[in-house]
Amino acid sequence: MRYRITHTTSYKYTGLVGHSYNEARLLPRECQHQHLISARLEITPKESDFRVREDFFGNKIAYFTITEPHNTFAITAISEVEVLGGTWQLGLSSNISWEDVKEILLRDKHIEVLDARQYTLDSPYIKTSLELAAYAQPSFTPGRPLFEAVNDLMQRIHAEFTFDSEFTTLSTPVQTVLEHRRGVCQDFAHVAIGCIRSYGLAARYVSGYIETLPPPGKEKLVGSDASHAWFSVYLPDVGWMDFDPTNNQIPGDQHIIVAWGRGYGDITPLKGVVFGGENHVLEVSVDVARLTS
Amino acid sequence: MTPNAAPNSYLLGVGDYDEMLDSQGQVRSHWSSLMQGMEKLGSAEMELRRKEALKLLYENGVTYNVYGDSGGSNHPWQLDPVPLMISGQEWSHIEAGLLQRAELLNMILADLYGPRELTKKNLLPHELIYNHGGFLRACDQIKLIGHHQLVLYAADLARGPDQKMWVVSDRTQAPSGTGYALENRVAVSRVMPNLFRKSQTRRLANFFKSMHSGLTAIAPPNAESPLIVLLTPGPFNETYFEHAYLAAFLGYPLVQGDDLTVRDGYVWLKSLTGLKRVDVIIRRVDDTYCDPLELRADSRLGVTGLLEVARRGNVAIANPLGSGILENPGIQPFLPGIAKHFLGETLKLQSAATWWCGQPLEMDYVLANLDKLVIKPIYRAHGTSPVLGHLLSQAQLAELRERIRTNPALYVGQEHVSFSTAPCVTPQGFEPRKVMLRCFAAADRNGYEVMPGGLSSSAPEKGDMLISGRAGSISKDAWVISTEPELKYETARNIGASATRGNEHALPSRAADNIYWVGRYAERAEGSIRLLRATVRKLYINPHNNDPDYDESLQCLLRGVANLTGTWPGFLDEDHSALLKSPESELIAAALDEQRSGSIANLLRNVVRTGYSVRDLWSTDIWRVLDDMDEHLDQPLQLGENALWKLQELMDRQITTLSAFSGLSMENMTRGNGWLFLDIGRRLERAMLTISMLRNVMSVHHRDSVEAQLIESLLDASDNTICYRQHYRSYFELSAFLELLLLDVNNPRSLAFQIACLKNHVSKLPSAGKAKRFSTEERLMLEAGSMIDLINLNDLMVVSEEDIRENLDQLLSRLYYLMNALSDAITAEYFRHDSSPQPL
Repeated sequence: MRYRITHTTSYKYTGLVGHSYNEARLLPRECQHQHLISARLEITPKESDFRVREDFFGNKIAYFTITEPHNTFAITAISEVEVLGGTWQLGLSSNISWEDVKEILLRDKHIEVLDARQYTLDSPYIKTSLELAAYAQPSFTPGRPLFEAVNDLMQRIHAEFTFDSEFTTLSTPVQTVLEHRRGVCQDFAHVAIGCIRSYGLAARYVSGYIETLPPPGKEKLVGSDASHAWFSVYLPDVGWMDFDPTNNQIPGDQHIIVAWGRGYGDITPLKGVVFGGENHVLEVSVDVARLTS
Repeated sequence: MTPNAAPNSYLLGVGDYDEMLDSQGQVRSHWSSLMQGMEKLGSAEMELRRKEALKLLYENGVTYNVYGDSGGSNHPWQLDPVPLMISGQEWSHIEAGLLQRAELLNMILADLYGPRELTKKNLLPHELIYNHGGFLRACDQIKLIGHHQLVLYAADLARGPDQKMWVVSDRTQAPSGTGYALENRVAVSRVMPNLFRKSQTRRLANFFKSMHSGLTAIAPPNAESPLIVLLTPGPFNETYFEHAYLAAFLGYPLVQGDDLTVRDGYVWLKSLTGLKRVDVIIRRVDDTYCDPLELRADSRLGVTGLLEVARRGNVAIANPLGSGILENPGIQPFLPGIAKHFLGETLKLQSAATWWCGQPLEMDYVLANLDKLVIKPIYRAHGTSPVLGHLLSQAQLAELRERIRTNPALYVGQEHVSFSTAPCVTPQGFEPRKVMLRCFAAADRNGYEVMPGGLSSSAPEKGDMLISGRAGSISKDAWVISTEPELKYETARNIGASATRGNEHALPSRAADNIYWVGRYAERAEGSIRLLRATVRKLYINPHNNDPDYDESLQCLLRGVANLTGTWPGFLDEDHSALLKSPESELIAAALDEQRSGSIANLLRNVVRTGYSVRDLWSTDIWRVLDDMDEHLDQPLQLGENALWKLQELMDRQITTLSAFSGLSMENMTRGNGWLFLDIGRRLERAMLTISMLRNVMSVHHRDSVEAQLIESLLDASDNTICYRQHYRSYFELSAFLELLLLDVNNPRSLAFQIACLKNHVSKLPSAGKAKRFSTEERLMLEAGSMIDLINLNDLMVVSEEDIRENLDQLLSRLYYLMNALSDAITAEYFRHDSSPQPL
């Protein structure tokens, strides 16, 4: 499936910004089941010192500065992506028990396993805890295949947590989300990752987009989409497999990956330091359009 | 006494290994000459020399600032004059061990931020590195040019139970101590000159030479004479003294984060003469605080975008960001394996035995022996520090055990090394105390250079433990005895001199700003003290309470005091007639109340504060004066009875101190940009004070008899009484007074004199004379100068029907405006400050 994604972030400042330094992780990465056709950034005012590199996790980062004094700043990422193989993940199955996966992660020296091992550890936004382990326990019964355990965990999070965009902010701890069982896609992904890591397993955070379909009979509104987040688990026999607890589904051809890392903190879509500016109003719009050709 | 017998008072603790005495109680040969010399001096004399050394350090302003101390005050550096003696033979072993270890750590650093073979081959456990807060993923694949990634290295050594020197911890982030070591050497060799000369102690200068050369070597290519700066967190940092000291010694500009800016992929110093490209940064800021864009967003100590510049190889940072990973004590047990892997060698220096709890067997061992070990977190975050197991209660041990169990990979247990002892001077004679030694290495092109000796520290009391770090320890010099005389050494001062050349223009704007304000505050303090003192004298010495002339002139002066010091409401408030009748308490507050903005104490505090932030620019003598000022401020004055008399005495002393400061800065500072801004600040402030004083007191016409009294006081306040009497007569007359204070270019306190100085100074400012036309500053001073030149005294004396001297008032008002405009113009042109950064 082919998509064109238009993702605009804009800031309106009450004061003048003298200059700013920025890092954008908005360019989708090329990965096994996703082919990047084209991607570009449009920045106003005109950026300077623009450079794209890969970060520690292999994501694309655009670094740029703005030296022209400004009151508004906007960055639009326009990407065309081919999501390969349709519902490729659904055809796979993995039968290794979660205990065995844990052992493999500790002992196996294969380069892919070694890479996965870093995602078993605590990260700045996600600390494993007894509470997270306790929540996940009904899913992680002895001898259960990891795939099943995670699938069950995803379903439980979907069923037991309420989607509430008012309740959390970017800095709400996982602990609070777990206690109140409320949050947004990012929080659900963090909770799931924390649960899985509490069992010594590897889970990472994925950011991207999801295609949304309009209600039957209505036309889709441009810009009504949002950026999305889910998680991925390492299964030694099939590799990394994605799970979307917000939508209770295993991502197929409607999920577009931008970046992954240990948690949100590793792959903040847009980071920056501005000099001046005082207060600001932020606006974000995302449009995921299916391309027919 | 036989030559090798121990001093009588020197009693060793049971089981302690002593550096000086062997197991038979004989003085070891490399100590004998020193010990004989010190014995000959006698313990009373040694105690005197100890005090002398402390005084010397104190006078040099050597301090160590303890974080979290109330007000972050500076503690004098503690020094014991008995050096730790190291034989040439043992040193060659230590040196070889340090060279090997520095090389090894360098290879580990290059690997961890490069191919990471070590974790892939399990020579370093994955969890030990990836769990460590110092492993900065943003720094991955960044490399300095050349072989050396670890540029500066320090190791804390102590003698272990096998009587060999062991490494207790590695310092690889921003190692401190080289400057203190140098100061210690200066102090000890000064108080024991003969013993030092006879000892054939190896000199420290070569180390700094190599360090400078090594820093030059890592500069990005095509930087012809690289600009090297020293980045400090600022005056509140615990080792700020050392930052300033090293910067001055090596001739590198001392900068704070906001003195630097990133533009077009390079780092620039915001200097007086515009942006200067920076090639090398010695950082004394912890790496996570260095770049709010990519590292800690809440840091105010860093430079936004710094990491990206380093990534492109356009600036070299020593040590590189991310090098804190090597301070992970969990690496120590894996060093032998890595040494074999990388070098095919065994370790020449042992580490203290260390067990990383990330491995099940090791964790079990640590948990079972918790009360015998030192427990260290692998990452030194805030609120985590090493603990000695045997000092913990059962409850604390249980709590610690639980913490280790929950996250074993984050802890190590380390053998509690029983350090050796070495002699210290006490009033009762020599006493053995536990010692350790911090050694330093710096990478030069062809390898590491180790400082011969280093910074030694000893426990504050006999029998006390010593843990790597600080906690009240007393420092010592360390003498490495050379087996043959060193043929050639350069004095340390030469390095600084050669490096300084050309850096004059690299004076950071912030430093210029601060030094300008030192000048202004010092002058404002002096002027305020003089006026206050004149007022107190009038009140105290000659109170004619029923003389209406006296009352009127006193009230006029009191209002002047309030105006000048800005201690509103004070005597300015209309309702304070009672205050005007008995002004003592208000005057005392204006002098002593530090919380009151504009008070004398407040102004002096500002002199010290701004002075301290440009610590590297002052000579030792000037610094001593600033230190004096600081010390007096910290000693509250007991006024009691005769309060005004005591106040007067205090003010006399303060005037002397301030005069010493201005005298030294006139005589001892080179006439560079630093001095220029200091003197501009001073002249401008003096001009403004004189104008305000005249305007406050003389714009309104009083009876002649009142004015005579006012003139007398103002002459007193400006230290011009004698001068007036010599030139004029003993009768106080306004025109003569105005001539002396306004027009006399030969009177260093006159307005004409200040303006002449300022006119000259502004023509030397960095951007003056660049364009064909005059600069703003020059135009302002031209106008002020010609106003003074055109003054007609008779016109100024004219009094209006409302009893106002309008011409005088207008003239002074315009001159005041021009002075203010000059200050604004200089601030806008030279002290550019960015607004503070905030996250997007």
